[in-house]
Amino acid sequence: MTTLETYQRGLLDLVKNRGAAPTDPYLAKVASSHGIVVVREIAVWWRSFQIGSQCPLVSRVLKHYGCFDETISDYFASNHTSPFVEELTDHFLTFLAGCDGLDSFLRSVAAFERALLRARAGSKERSEIYFDRNPDLAFEALGKGDTMPAADAEFRYFMIVAWDLPQMFRCIRKRIADFPTTCC
Amino acid sequence: MVSAENTLTASAAPALATTYEGDDIALLERIVPLVDIIEISPDAIARIGENRARLRPEVLEEYACVAANVQFIAHGIGLSIGSFDQWDEGYLALLDELFARVPLEWHSEHLAISTVAGESVGTMFPVPRTEEALDLVCERVRLIEERYRVPFLLEHVIHLLPEAPAEFTPAGFLNAITSRTGCGLILDAYNLECDAINQGLNLRAFLDELDLNTVREVHLAGGTAHHGFQLDIHSRTTGDSTLAIAGEVVRRAPNLRAVTFELLKEAVPLLGHDSIAYELSRIRKVISS
Repeated sequence: MTTLETYQRGLLDLVKNRGAAPTDPYLAKVASSHGIVVVREIAVWWRSFQIGSQCPLVSRVLKHYGCFDETISDYFASNHTSPFVEELTDHFLTFLAGCDGLDSFLRSVAAFERALLRARAGSKERSEIYFDRNPDLAFEALGKGDTMPAADAEFRYFMIVAWDLPQMFRCIRKRIADFPTTCC
Repeated sequence: MVSAENTLTASAAPALATTYEGDDIALLERIVPLVDIIEISPDAIARIGENRARLRPEVLEEYACVAANVQFIAHGIGLSIGSFDQWDEGYLALLDELFARVPLEWHSEHLAISTVAGESVGTMFPVPRTEEALDLVCERVRLIEERYRVPFLLEHVIHLLPEAPAEFTPAGFLNAITSRTGCGLILDAYNLECDAINQGLNLRAFLDELDLNTVREVHLAGGTAHHGFQLDIHSRTTGDSTLAIAGEVVRRAPNLRAVTFELLKEAVPLLGHDSIAYELSRIRKVISS
């Protein structure tokens, strides 16, 4: 008889699609079942739904890049996910903003959206997020389904997010030539 | 121990209940005249702040506004009563807060595992029907009954995975829990239907074996089929076949107190208030006839 601990740890690994193939006969049966695929899809679908509704900016960028479902699925498999939507989305956005291998615009949007959600939830912290292209034009293009503007060769954009700003954010444009070489 | 059988008094027709999770006053005003009880899910009306979850005061205020017209029950999602290591203390903190703010007739949880070794599963697994699990669940039910002096009910969940090795039949396991602890049961008519479709559960044999004296509440919902599986997503109105199962339980369960139509908050815009109101009236007719 499979013990409770073996059963539960094994099922968690199978839902998260991680770890070695199970040797326990019951867990091996689950691993090859269609049911585990459906359970995994349900778990990821809920995370997708929550992230899609709470993080519209990042979701729009991910969908524009055609990797929304894949990103959520990978995130679910490799991270502890909170059942509370505020915690889930904050962690997800932190995860994206800190992913070195990701597109820099996506990382900036993740950091911006996280700062904005925190400010709306009452945080008094002040954030400054760097964008390599005009965020207004980029979001406009996303909204229309147009091609995204390329990184700006002349300017950099700094999005200030703070609870006491009108709309809680402000964008400042700076000429690249004005920066010290170590910046940006 | 607070025995559900001793505390709940049966009436001629069960009360009608439905879910309400806040932020839609128009819906609340629409459903309150149609139901007797509002089901509150503490997890669903909580928000994380300062490293712990708390109930949203604005939603509690909405409940307070209709407290003269309806009764309340709590139905949890996140206790994880079957976890091998520990249940979720955070859920109990929410329940403590709810008990302090809202008069609850009874409360309930899923007979399930939603957290393993501190990690959220992202869904619910059924508790395997073994002696080891029975001992663990019964001890936790005892602790809950000591902590909250109102009846406690457990609800079975659907099975999407292959049948785990078991020492009890599905009904026999529920009978063992209720006879050992005195807790009551929620029978979810839609979950039973899902198990019949997905796993070949023999509904007739299940209901014949189950001690129907312990059933205090029936849940109704509608869901969708996905890749050949019927899923317990509470996104639709109740199917006629589900209502027929509920009708049989209503006739056969002498201590039944309520029939609850469950609907996800996210599904409200899809169904619309008119459709929800119609559904409640339709269910009322079935359970009163």
